[in-house]
Amino acid sequence: MDALNPIPLGPIQVEIIRNAFVAAAEEMSVTVWRTSRSAVVREILDYSCCIFDAKGRSTAQSAAMPVHLNSMPACLEEILASHIPLEEWHEGDIVITNDPYAGGQHLPDIQTFKPVFLDGRLIAIAGILVHHLDVGGGAAGSYDASATEIYQEGFRIPPLKLAEGGRRNEAVIKLLLRNSREPVNVGGDFASQLAALDTGVANLQRLGRRYGADTLAAAAERIQAQSEAAMRATIAQIPDGTYAFEDFVDDDGIERDRPLRIHVALTVKGEEVLIDLSGSAEQAVGPVNCTLNMTRSAVVCGVMMALGSEVPANAGCYRPVTVTAPEGLVVNARSPAPVANRMATGHRIVTTVLGAFAQAMPGKVPAAYYGVSYAYALNCFLEDGRRQVYFDLECGGWGAHPEEDGASGFSCGFHNIANAPVEMLENTLPLTFVEYGLVPDSGGRGRTRGGLGLARAFRLDAREGRFAANLERFKFAPYGLAGGEAGRPGRLTVTRAGTGTSEELPSKVGGLKVARGDVLRLQTAGGGGYGDPAERAPAAVERDRAEGYTSAG
Amino acid sequence: MTSLRVAVDIGGTFTDLQILDEATGVAHAHKVPTTPTDPSEGLITGIREACERLGVGPETVRAILHGTTIATNAVLQRRLPDGALITTAGFTDVLEIGRHVRKHVYANRAEPRALLVPRSRRFGVVERVRADGSVETALDEASVRAAAERVKASGATAVAIAFLHAYANPAHELRAAEIVQQVLPDAFVSCSHQVSPEIREFERTSTTVLNALLMPVVKTYLSKLRARLADAGLAAPVYLVQSNGGVTTPEIAGEQPARLLLSGPSGGARAAEVLAAELAEPNLIAVDMGGTSYDVSIVHDGAIRLVTQGDVDGLPVRLPMIEIRTIGAGGGSIAKVDGTGRLLVGPDSAGAVPGPVCYRRGGEEPTVTDANVALGRIDPGYFLGGAMDLDVDGAKRALAERVAAPLGLEPGPAAEGVVAVATAHMAAAIRLSLFEKGLDPKDFALISFGGAGGLHACDTAAEIGTGRVVFPRDPGTLSAWGMLFGDVVHDLARSRLLKADASAVPVLETALAELRAEAEDLLARDGIDPADRAFPVTLDLRYPGQAYEIGVTLAGVDGLAPDALNAAVAAFHDAHERQYAHAERHIVPEIVTVRMAATGRLTRPGERPFDAAAGGAAKGTRRIRIAGGERDAAVWERAAIGTDVTVDGPAIVEEPHSTLLVPPGWRLVAHPTGALIATCEGL
Repeated sequence: MDALNPIPLGPIQVEIIRNAFVAAAEEMSVTVWRTSRSAVVREILDYSCCIFDAKGRSTAQSAAMPVHLNSMPACLEEILASHIPLEEWHEGDIVITNDPYAGGQHLPDIQTFKPVFLDGRLIAIAGILVHHLDVGGGAAGSYDASATEIYQEGFRIPPLKLAEGGRRNEAVIKLLLRNSREPVNVGGDFASQLAALDTGVANLQRLGRRYGADTLAAAAERIQAQSEAAMRATIAQIPDGTYAFEDFVDDDGIERDRPLRIHVALTVKGEEVLIDLSGSAEQAVGPVNCTLNMTRSAVVCGVMMALGSEVPANAGCYRPVTVTAPEGLVVNARSPAPVANRMATGHRIVTTVLGAFAQAMPGKVPAAYYGVSYAYALNCFLEDGRRQVYFDLECGGWGAHPEEDGASGFSCGFHNIANAPVEMLENTLPLTFVEYGLVPDSGGRGRTRGGLGLARAFRLDAREGRFAANLERFKFAPYGLAGGEAGRPGRLTVTRAGTGTSEELPSKVGGLKVARGDVLRLQTAGGGGYGDPAERAPAAVERDRAEGYTSAG
Repeated sequence: MTSLRVAVDIGGTFTDLQILDEATGVAHAHKVPTTPTDPSEGLITGIREACERLGVGPETVRAILHGTTIATNAVLQRRLPDGALITTAGFTDVLEIGRHVRKHVYANRAEPRALLVPRSRRFGVVERVRADGSVETALDEASVRAAAERVKASGATAVAIAFLHAYANPAHELRAAEIVQQVLPDAFVSCSHQVSPEIREFERTSTTVLNALLMPVVKTYLSKLRARLADAGLAAPVYLVQSNGGVTTPEIAGEQPARLLLSGPSGGARAAEVLAAELAEPNLIAVDMGGTSYDVSIVHDGAIRLVTQGDVDGLPVRLPMIEIRTIGAGGGSIAKVDGTGRLLVGPDSAGAVPGPVCYRRGGEEPTVTDANVALGRIDPGYFLGGAMDLDVDGAKRALAERVAAPLGLEPGPAAEGVVAVATAHMAAAIRLSLFEKGLDPKDFALISFGGAGGLHACDTAAEIGTGRVVFPRDPGTLSAWGMLFGDVVHDLARSRLLKADASAVPVLETALAELRAEAEDLLARDGIDPADRAFPVTLDLRYPGQAYEIGVTLAGVDGLAPDALNAAVAAFHDAHERQYAHAERHIVPEIVTVRMAATGRLTRPGERPFDAAAGGAAKGTRRIRIAGGERDAAVWERAAIGTDVTVDGPAIVEEPHSTLLVPPGWRLVAHPTGALIATCEGL
């Protein structure tokens, strides 16, 4: 259809349309943020929004969570290729899935896509991924650390049409909510997610009328091509060759003595990179497995961090990057392997990819960040029989950059989360927090120092609770580079009210019984150091002591 | 006898004054250069000159309304004293950790985070209050004394005290403050429950720290100002403009200086609200485009919107303030082409120094102003009324070398492209401002002020889909004029997390009685006559667990009317539906905070006389580049446009401190009040 004001597609118009796509994603994001219900979304910001072109290729994103941003394009690709081909998408449809073995990552992440039609023609697709508080399964928050099959991890939605021609299938939502421990919160978040999709659709239709469908499509091509060209130009500057690096996941929580090796062979050839993960461990019994899409998402995150933090992220960024990961490995698990804590391995893929790039580009890549989403959940049993779930995520210290110290207690790498205010949590949950602070000496020493990890401790004030945690980096510390020392690993303790004794817990905990007055304390890892600690400027050493970032000793 | 009220807005370059004759309601504009080292000097010069112009003595000035960026600038430039922070033990790092979410998704170096009190000057004390205000651990006074001694040893002169849940029970903070003052009698002490009595420990602590650090800055400035005013024979009381658009006394401003942060644009927003009534345009998008920034605020149904939080340099300020969205887009925004062939405009700015290339102050990077000069839209001989001779060739050369050549474009389209990209950014900011409230741009007119705005207003309006633009009179002193309409306002609040049903009524009644008593006391101290006092109450409501609240009016000034809470809840569901496209009426919302705006009404200016039949004609034509081609545009002096004239685009309207562009397809007429209205059919 003719646009109101058709304009030829030059560099100016491409830039203007790019801004409009990004604004459309941001406007969806604002809607989710303002209207959602649960702490996961409202305070922790665990959701993302994406605009795809008419062929389903990502074109613009609202900046938030790398793990999601790279997940949605892969998921949509798989839906289109194997489940619901593009010609079956009609106006008013909504496609939904949370199935890790159909393009998803783990069950709490529910992805929704809505096609945008203008005068009967598909012009774009709006996508939103929200991490929902609880979708059932063996433990609160759907983070069952003892799961050995995906069937234990919660309610599974294969790619299907939640709405057809504008008519919503409420039965799907009813089924989902009946399977959730938190139907009110999840129902509210889900309503937000769907409302935000509609704002995205309306906005993209407006852009279609403004610029015309053909111009919009051509602009999307150009936007992706620009990012691809920028990535290729950066890669071309790296010396050709193969660079290897490995790092380890502590264990899968079931076979506690079996560290899981992540091995990256990075081959740089001209303008392209090949990331070969064939040297990684066999898939795990416990839920730390990654599906191939999850692994791709982690690889892209590592590549973007190493090379392209300034390049607008879209489908074009992924094109010069090839990932090899044979099925049956922890980086490409075979169904029905459990995947709830896929972030344990995902973060490790990111740190391993970064480590490989550090070999290829010495002096440009920082030491390892804490490298784990400290996900934990406490199911609180109240006196009146009700249950309330406290779910939280934490972060730790950044790896030291060759030119500056790592940031302390700040989201890095594969995830990006805000903390939940203690006062908000105490107002709604039977908890009392006893500590939230930085951990001195946790940053790896070096010419530049790693950032400090965090300590977060809380007491249960209800009759009883069940605690689950999917943590990492208790055994294998965030590595230092160029002579810098590793950051201090994390730890988890429970102090029993009855006896006053403290007990060290492993990084993966399933269904730990907690009684009134018991205190759980999580300590997150600091980042690795960079360069020889002996070369650290004396003034910086002195300041660290004065500020208590390092102890006096 | 004459009685004047003077509003003074101190900007980076000019100090703008509006002088209101309270008897006649007539306001006069005046402008003097700003004196950056001591802004009060320019203020007094301005008032003296204005009095001379009106032929009256300084004793006729009955009140001075003072807009000031002194607090904001002190924070941005870190001209702050050494501060200390005392918190609940175990939580001293809350200030440093913040909310720990980053802006740059794929960054491998963290963005800098402002930290105003270092770890070595943050001290924990033994105490603990629960969420419901009950005491879990009594205040250990010895630990407070020890902390105060350490503050003393550190040399800090400003102390913030922020305990967990102090909004629910301030007893521990109050006692700790007493002890700190005993140990440090000269220290400036701020308690979180007094500065920002609201839930969320990081935001409250951040606001309290800012407040404590600003106390000496603002108090020193105000005492100097008082002395200067006395020397100048000005005995009139001074009121400071706050971020909420109201004014407050120097005594309160000295204790609560955080309330002055972000007050800068509030005068302009208030003016837009007044103009909305004057022009019978209840829905206005107010945009203020200066050299480096673009401020957007929204008047909806005749009222400016307040929000409960803003930020300065990334530091949250949790206080009621006029809602303003600021982006880095202005006349000085730099245009460049990056390595991927993208044309970027802003947020980097050339500022006033070196400024745009055409200013001849050493600027080498082309800016939006340079693009406007190259397009012929700014008259190089009539910039700032002819006070600055612009370098047209320099502007064109910079654009050709740094924009046109790398993009492979001709110079003309490249300059137009720079303006178009800047316009797209501004339009996106406006859309987001409207969008997050569920409002439709089509229902709004755009009102443009600030030196650089007039050239972009119509294009920006077209981009968001509205065909109506208002150019107010005296755009250069509009902010000061808006200040004349500010009332004395004290924002009071109590955070009480309650289910919004009958069970909340006793708690609410107690909170309202406390707020009312506090409000009466404050207004009495301001000397406000009881007949001029008002006490509007709002409740911040949300569905259980939501992150952000919607403020709704609670009726019943004296106590709680029986159905008032039900009406407020119904209004919340409606507002939620309007704003977010869904409401869940079966769910009882939560009350998070109850607020009272203790208001002392001041008299307001009347209508400004306007020579409606100016009867002028265009002063000439100029060749400009617009809509992809060269066109002859009529050039008008603004003063020549009366209600008897219609100006069709393309046209340029010039006034001493700004230039307006009427694009092809737009038509400009004068409103009887003197504002110019541009309209475009079909938008």
